[in-house]
Amino acid sequence: MGFLAGAAKRLQFPVIAVAMMFVMAGAARAQWLSLPLPGTPRTPDGKPNLTAPTPRTADGKPDLSGIWHADENVENIAAEGVDVPMLPSAAALYKQRQATLGQDKPQLHCLPHGVPDAMLVANLPFKFIQTPRETVILYEEFNQYRQIFTDGRKLPEDPNPAWFGYSVAKWEGDTFVVDVAGFKEGTWLDNAGHPHTEALHITERYRRPNFGNLELEVTVDDPQAYSKPWKSRMIHFKLFPDTEMLEHLCENEKDAQHLGFK
Amino acid sequence: MRTTLAVCVVAFGLLLGAGPAVAHHAFTAEFDASKPLKMTGTVTKFEWTNPHAWFYIDVKDDSGTVTNWGFEMNSPNMLLRNGWTRNSLKPGDVISVEAFGARDGSHIGNAKAVTMTSTGQKLLAAPAQN
Repeated sequence: MGFLAGAAKRLQFPVIAVAMMFVMAGAARAQWLSLPLPGTPRTPDGKPNLTAPTPRTADGKPDLSGIWHADENVENIAAEGVDVPMLPSAAALYKQRQATLGQDKPQLHCLPHGVPDAMLVANLPFKFIQTPRETVILYEEFNQYRQIFTDGRKLPEDPNPAWFGYSVAKWEGDTFVVDVAGFKEGTWLDNAGHPHTEALHITERYRRPNFGNLELEVTVDDPQAYSKPWKSRMIHFKLFPDTEMLEHLCENEKDAQHLGFK
Repeated sequence: MRTTLAVCVVAFGLLLGAGPAVAHHAFTAEFDASKPLKMTGTVTKFEWTNPHAWFYIDVKDDSGTVTNWGFEMNSPNMLLRNGWTRNSLKPGDVISVEAFGARDGSHIGNAKAVTMTSTGQKLLAAPAQN
């Protein structure tokens, strides 16, 4: 039995919805922009039921699998009114990034957004694929990915620094807690330009309160950039139902050349 | 008249659920949300490429001088999800464009919407925000 068929069975997928799928499949548009995905709970009119209960895996954990997106840009991950405890070096870099309107951000050179910034662009999808030993996040932009291991391994010691770092996770109740470290310096935590060093350790806490919503809270711990760990605002993602990811390779970046860079 | 246009453009931003002020890519460095543009011209080139689609139009001013303008849009993927295809614009098509102008005053813009003059069909370009 395939993964999706298994999911459908767990959700006790109603026969009527299956019939609806075939009707809708006939009307599906070109490519896979709109197609009825098996395993999607539906309202009587056949639409995805985004307030249906959280789907769960065979062992009872929430299943975070799905295509997600921020429904509005999250410019700054710091909560409203929170004073981010930047050390002077970080404060200076942050100020410079703000003053230059972000014109040296990595994605202008087809390089990655940081963690969590890669998920914070409105309508830019990313896909969670949750399996027992690892969860993979596919980021549509620039065809990038992260592997989050849940097989009990520890974070590597003194790893080769990486744009997305190295990720391991465990469950705390219904919260998927991801530890990420081993970052290459230079990514931006958010579009506002919060910086970090190689000492960055991020903790991501994901929750899927129902079928259509995913929440994330990030703790940033970087003793070379911040005087103490600090928590982000609660970040909300929406499910992109009945669609598929599309290839997105950075083939023609012109913003940098318009801004005078090579 | 200018005020009306600005109001229209701002309304578009709201309609699309993401204003340019919070744009993610180079928008704030490259374009100016307080510089709305509206012009009509003939398509000379359409680049259907990630991370941003671009199209170019020849625009004739009152004195008959022709200037080639370039317009950035969102990624082809986001445009596909907004009803575009790689064949939506062809050289020779006459279109009107609503956009935000460049900070440095060069002949480029960040397109919000394109209207096909022959049919009146309007295609939302969505803010180029990634």
